Amino acid sequence: MIEDKVFEIGKHRAPLPGGLLYATTNHVWARQVGNAGSQIWQFGFTSYALALMRDIYFLDWSLSDGLPVDHLALIGHIETSKAESDLYAPVSGTIVRFNEKALADPAIINADGYGAGWLYEIQCTNAPSHLVDVDAYLSHLHATWANTERMIKGGMNRIVDESPDEGEA
Amino acid sequence: MSRNRVTVVISQAQGKNPLRRALEESLAATLLMEPGVDLSIVPHLYDLEEGHTGRLFLNSVSGDMIVLGWLFPRAGFWLLDRMGVKGLEGSSPMHPVAEDDGEEAGEADPQEKAPAIGQTGDIPDRTITLLDLRAKPGYEPYLEEVRRLIGESKARREAQVSVRPPVLVELGLPKPAPVIDLTTLASAPAARRWYPVIDYSRCTNCMQCLDFCLFGVYGVDGGERILVESQDNCKKGCPACSRVCPEQAIMFPEYKTPAIAGAPVGVVTGLKIDLSKLFGGGDPSVTAAAERDRELVKDGRDAVGLTVGMAPRRAPRAPTVPDELDGLVDALDKLEI
Repeated sequence: MIEDKVFEIGKHRAPLPGGLLYATTNHVWARQVGNAGSQIWQFGFTSYALALMRDIYFLDWSLSDGLPVDHLALIGHIETSKAESDLYAPVSGTIVRFNEKALADPAIINADGYGAGWLYEIQCTNAPSHLVDVDAYLSHLHATWANTERMIKGGMNRIVDESPDEGEA
Repeated sequence: MSRNRVTVVISQAQGKNPLRRALEESLAATLLMEPGVDLSIVPHLYDLEEGHTGRLFLNSVSGDMIVLGWLFPRAGFWLLDRMGVKGLEGSSPMHPVAEDDGEEAGEADPQEKAPAIGQTGDIPDRTITLLDLRAKPGYEPYLEEVRRLIGESKARREAQVSVRPPVLVELGLPKPAPVIDLTTLASAPAARRWYPVIDYSRCTNCMQCLDFCLFGVYGVDGGERILVESQDNCKKGCPACSRVCPEQAIMFPEYKTPAIAGAPVGVVTGLKIDLSKLFGGGDPSVTAAAERDRELVKDGRDAVGLTVGMAPRRAPRAPTVPDELDGLVDALDKLEI
């Protein structure tokens, strides 16, 4: 069993469960669901992604379930209290389903990002080889943090430093 | 008389989506009975070509107007402006314009920004308010909002009357009211069209779109102001020029991405950071060049990639911002993909 890890963003602690795989280019976690042979993977935002975005106001998928997607194809859009972003598929495959609950009330993504706040499930033909374990994701975050921080501070100044009460619990 | 009434226009959805048609019909049925309302139904504003009866009608309205349609209010307002249906942009609490929480406001430095062109021509003293029919389910919220806007409009008119000096009234020369047959209007078909709409409240006339588009869509008017000159040259489905616009002033109302379709900039992108790059998206200029190449090749021309029309003629922002962006682009390019 791989240990859980934590990435620290200023005073904010972003937990990264050891039992998941991660897509470094999308900042989503992946968990295989159903039986092992089915290659159905469930995805959701990592706590790192959620820490950058803050409260999710609006989530929209630009395609319906059952459709095939390519790795990094545009699949939706998100608007949060501090950011907006297009969303891209972390793997190639077929969208099995979107989490209707998260779509109806995105607050559950912030509340339980690794559980009930999952985003979608994709059926892959083969095991997606570019997903990495928690250690590799954590090193990726450390390696890119300086640049990311610069980008974020260019866009908004208070995401990291002025959040004294968050993440302490 | 019509000057004491408010014109309410329902701009129909493209296509035959039964849910959208049902909402339009419920709204029309209730608004027809609504006191103080002159109701009209026209096809989708985007598809009203020159000479279309719906467009002639819109041009003939001189008082306050409320337009209910299936598009972002910003896109609708500038579409009407482009048709010569001008006025002051009305706002509605249904569509918050800018979520200014007061924190960021002090940090912006307006001096560094090139001024926007703004509306040109004679702007009549009347209000045009757009309501996006995608904002709420059911017709009731719209009916309520139309009533509220009519109340506002009435109050405004009364205030104007009380301050206006008496004028000489020419008797015996009544202006004939245009006779419009609603049933003809509603049924007049409009073919689907595709072209950019410029938001002149954001456009700084930097000409980057003119340089970028290789299909001759853009031109300049007598006053060297950028305009959509040959809209029929535009390539259906291609939103590339919108991506290269540094001010998010170019809208394609029917495009799927809200930022391109005319979502309010203050809310979505003005104060917020775009994390698309961090979440797996490409560089917008690369996407735009690829979209342009696809259209060039379809036309039997050569793809040009990033070699033509990508450099800004005029830096639109403070000098520190491009530096940071450059650094960011370089840094993110180093990430694995």
